[in-house]
Amino acid sequence: MLCEFDYLAPLNLPELFDALAAGGPDARILAGGTDLLVNVRAGLVTPKTVIDIKKIPGLQGLEYNEKTGLEIGAAVTVNQIAEDPRVQKNYSLLVACAESLASYQLRNRATVVGNIVNASPCADMAPALLCYEAQVVITSKQGSRTVPIREFFTGVKKTVLVPGELVEKILVPATYAGASGSYEKLKRIKGHDLGIVGVAMLKKDGLVRMAVSSAAPTPIIVKDCKASDSAEVLAKAALEAIKPIDDVRSSKEYREFMVQVYVKRLLERV
Amino acid sequence: MKITVTVNDQVYIRDAAPSKNLLHFLREDVGLTGTKEGCGAGECGACTVIMDGKSVNACLVLAPEADGAVIRTVEGEAVMGELSDVQQKFMEHHAVQCGFCTPGMLMSIRDLLQRTPKPSEHQIKEAIEGNFCRCTGYQQIIEAVLDVTGQLTKDNKGELRHV
Amino acid sequence: MFDQIDRKDLKCVGHDVPRIDAIEKLTGEASYVSDMILPGMLHAQVKRSPHARARIVRIDTTKAAALPGVRSIVTGDELDYRVGLYVVDKYVLAKGEVRHYGEAVAAVAADTLTIAKEAVKLIEVEYEVLPAVLHPLDAINVDDPTTPKEGVPLVHPKLGEYDFVRAAFTPQPGTNVANYTKFRKGDIDKGFEEAEWIVERQYSNPSVQHVPMETHVAIVQWQAGDKITIWTSAQSPYAVRNLFCHSFKIPHKNVRVVIPYIGGGFGGKAGIGIEPLVACLSHKAGGRPVKLQASREEEFSLLPCRSALTYRIKTGVKKDGKIIAQKMTMYWDSGAYADYAVNVTRASGYSCTGPYEIPNAWVDAYTIYTNKPYGTAYRGFGHVEFSWGLERQMDLVAQTIGMDPLEFRRLNCLKPGSKTLTGEVITEHTGNVLKCLEEAARAIKYGTLTPEEEARQKTTGMRIGKSVAGLQKAPAMPPFTGSAVTLKMNEDGTVTANLSLTDMGQGTYTSVAQMIAERMHMPVSKVKIAFECDTDRDPYDWQTVASKGLLIAGNAAILATEDLLHKAYEMAGQILRAMPVDLDHDAEGVFVRHHTAKRVNFSEMSVGYAYPDGNGIGGPLVGVGRYIAQGLSHLDKATGQGNPALDWTYGAHGIVVEVNDQTGEYNVIQVSSVFDVGRAINPAEVRGQGIGGMIQGLGTACCEGYIYDKDGRLLNPNFTDNKIFTAMDIPEIIDSAVVETAQLDGPFGARGVGEHSMIGVCAALGNAIQQATGAELVHMPIRFEDVWRGINNKQPIDHWITKSPMGSCRSLPPEK
Repeated sequence: MLCEFDYLAPLNLPELFDALAAGGPDARILAGGTDLLVNVRAGLVTPKTVIDIKKIPGLQGLEYNEKTGLEIGAAVTVNQIAEDPRVQKNYSLLVACAESLASYQLRNRATVVGNIVNASPCADMAPALLCYEAQVVITSKQGSRTVPIREFFTGVKKTVLVPGELVEKILVPATYAGASGSYEKLKRIKGHDLGIVGVAMLKKDGLVRMAVSSAAPTPIIVKDCKASDSAEVLAKAALEAIKPIDDVRSSKEYREFMVQVYVKRLLERV
Repeated sequence: MKITVTVNDQVYIRDAAPSKNLLHFLREDVGLTGTKEGCGAGECGACTVIMDGKSVNACLVLAPEADGAVIRTVEGEAVMGELSDVQQKFMEHHAVQCGFCTPGMLMSIRDLLQRTPKPSEHQIKEAIEGNFCRCTGYQQIIEAVLDVTGQLTKDNKGELRHV
Repeated sequence: MFDQIDRKDLKCVGHDVPRIDAIEKLTGEASYVSDMILPGMLHAQVKRSPHARARIVRIDTTKAAALPGVRSIVTGDELDYRVGLYVVDKYVLAKGEVRHYGEAVAAVAADTLTIAKEAVKLIEVEYEVLPAVLHPLDAINVDDPTTPKEGVPLVHPKLGEYDFVRAAFTPQPGTNVANYTKFRKGDIDKGFEEAEWIVERQYSNPSVQHVPMETHVAIVQWQAGDKITIWTSAQSPYAVRNLFCHSFKIPHKNVRVVIPYIGGGFGGKAGIGIEPLVACLSHKAGGRPVKLQASREEEFSLLPCRSALTYRIKTGVKKDGKIIAQKMTMYWDSGAYADYAVNVTRASGYSCTGPYEIPNAWVDAYTIYTNKPYGTAYRGFGHVEFSWGLERQMDLVAQTIGMDPLEFRRLNCLKPGSKTLTGEVITEHTGNVLKCLEEAARAIKYGTLTPEEEARQKTTGMRIGKSVAGLQKAPAMPPFTGSAVTLKMNEDGTVTANLSLTDMGQGTYTSVAQMIAERMHMPVSKVKIAFECDTDRDPYDWQTVASKGLLIAGNAAILATEDLLHKAYEMAGQILRAMPVDLDHDAEGVFVRHHTAKRVNFSEMSVGYAYPDGNGIGGPLVGVGRYIAQGLSHLDKATGQGNPALDWTYGAHGIVVEVNDQTGEYNVIQVSSVFDVGRAINPAEVRGQGIGGMIQGLGTACCEGYIYDKDGRLLNPNFTDNKIFTAMDIPEIIDSAVVETAQLDGPFGARGVGEHSMIGVCAALGNAIQQATGAELVHMPIRFEDVWRGINNKQPIDHWITKSPMGSCRSLPPEK
């Protein structure tokens, strides 16, 4: 490791918040480590204290209830989501996004909450969570607040979180449980890659909902459409929502083109 | 910090800086250099070990996170110099060239076989997709795994044809 | 030698013997330099330039030196050593000026890696940023690259003062041209006059990285009396020693280079790299051993890559399909230093007409300096790069005259009696490229779609295309390249061979063991090849490059075996009172052919033979074999004529690809590769090299390439944005075959094939995509977006120097 830091593993939330407060701006929360430790190695972040949340019992849970939906604790890994039969049965879009994320080894450590807290525009879990209208439960010493996922991202790698706050869990409501959904992710290779552009589509009861990753400063929700809308109308809606750029991975032009292609593909599949 | 790990059924108690990653901890403090560093950033899989029953990139796990964990590395495959079934098939199928990716590759495969005793070719590729190999082109590795799981037939057994 | 023995009469050669170095690699016991720790060892880190070109105004190391645990710091101004294989143009550390992004300007050795990294941060460097020259065509006077161009910065203003290998290279002082190689065959103007059709295109390949799984790493200890030991992950121990001694003016006997297991090389570790710098750190630290390992990011920018190439090909063809003239101009982007690039220019120059007979040919090849990470040897040594354009051109020419591309290749390919670009005459023993082409075509059912393929097209809506590309390469090496091998008889009748050809994964050691076993009439289990290379103990080998190891070291190994047997027979003759000519041997020892009961075992003779009364005769049995390339010559500097080729390995790739002609997405369904290897010493290893190289080739076509911003910063120095193929990316069907036209002077008739599998694959893919969709792709790589652009006739994206400022979303902000 480039920088040296202290490691703490609180056993409950009050201990966690005390550690966060004591660590100040140089403290970082550690869940899966697949973003934090990469950033530490690259010198982008230099914490003095790293606070591991994985020993806190309340954060481990992946719960499902027909009425209230899915509850994803902060320490739940992407593979746990992908391999859970309840999630596979009821939230297939979550599974599709989870399976597209990085490699198998990485998914054994990366957490769903970590993916949205990192808030990369390429975040693979975000499109599914946006489609499902997930709620983000943010807890601090002062208590909890719940923020709808579509308000959670504020910019490239920026969220509504303020110092001292932790995303305790993500609630995925039962509203769209059982909906059919799929995720198309454009990559440079068939192996693991960050998305060049990603489109998630969810369909239920005449509603078609789409979300796009890697095509704007944040993962983006597209305005609700109807199942009766034509592919062109849906593609146009998606295009209006995104603001892609040229970068080393792709041109803006190709991203816009592929978003439209994916919308049409997903419509046929979903 | 004091860190206790069980690696390949042996207990090790070592003192290490909390910021040290599991890969360096295994290589430097425990002294098992079989697991390699290829990128340090969770992309190449050369550092794959099995921790508490799951394959992980050791470069992205902190040593203190592994305190109390049960870990398997490549050094646990062979027993008293006797190659394991997977290692034996790797040898028969020429699935090793420079050998640097091999330890991590073996661990990903060992993990796969724990979960799926008879994986399809696609499942094998998915399981090792996070393990880069620049030398072999992967084909002979896949054949070794098909063979060890009793799935190699004359149709999928690759051979060099003499024209 | 021994090329005429039938396969069925061989016990070991020609069989799938498991690798002799597999076990230790499988168990993790194999020790790489990355794994080594020496007592008192220090850890080094390097301070690198964030600028492509800048004057170093000031370096202040005071704060770094004051950090506890720092044992030595070196900067460019205190080191006066220059290194260079062919053109001695590189200081060990940037001196006065940095020439590329990522170039080392200072280095630190400290007690721990953490301290070293912290010390590097504390080194203050003040730069005066200078305008950089990034594109090779911008660096030269395109109309006549041998003359200076006004206003263009010179990467090496002192080019005229550098030492260089006069026999082979022609630097152009006052310009950015490190070397100019030309070939003139026949009468090019007359040829084009007689041509009925002329096709001209410009092609390009970006720089790519070797991506060995083990990054560059070296440990050096500079002890009193200038005794230096270098442990390095490198391909060529004697090259490291020789270049080191030349640069530091130290006697060869003082320097010992040790190479244990190597985690891949692919040419990136062919010559000398970080060893001189690490040596300086050790010297300044009072002789403590110092270890430097490149991070993956440093592997991409500090260490060299493969030169980029921009080139034009103009082909004149007659109506009947025969090529009458071809002109090729190659602008090799060497980056900041010449390293191997000048030889890549020369060697690919003499081969750039491909496996085709071209009666009138003209080649101008330039090695051009630019302010970017420099190019070194890379598998294929220029051939992967130019075969992209060449094999694309063959298809385009065929299309122009309305001929099937395979038929076009059949018509024009080299056959016995053909003359190469350098005037060499091909014989029926050289190799059979036509057979390779035919077999590759047959294996992919070229020219038609099978019912399954038709059905697949209907279901997927994708279009299937097929192509066959040819390839050739001879080793790029000095015409007098040699190797020596020693073979010792052990007390128990097993043998141990020593050689300093290295095995970085390509499997040559196993093949050499098989050849020794074959001649010794022993099972391969009785043959040891000492794995670690040590210049104090192992005899000379030039370098492990060029696919020449099997031939030259293999022959040397056979000769060592013959020498050992000769000495054994001499002793046995005395012992058995027989003439050596009447003796033969088996796995255990020597016997009289017509009285087989009269025998003496190797174990009895291994250290000399002792009679019952105590008299001793003979001595320890050690065989020495030396082999040097014969009859080869330099190339004439004016015409390029000469005999440079040790052997020619021909081959062909057949590819089947399906393309989505709306989006440019494609899947490679099948690759069938065929190589004329002379004799497959170890078929499974040949297959392994064949598949490995082919996948590396496909990977460079699909997703690899260095991308710089307008300031020359490398935007993708990591796996996030410099992808390589994973297991998910390989074709559905991979098929490998060999033709065996015996190489008369090859060991058991074998020739090398280490590089060849990577050559031509990219072009086959490009051709097949064009066949399927009409997209004419001339630039590499060919990502989905590039195919989409090609199909829709949109402007291609500049792959190398992009106006996009965005690298990975984990990019560091520009350093101040």
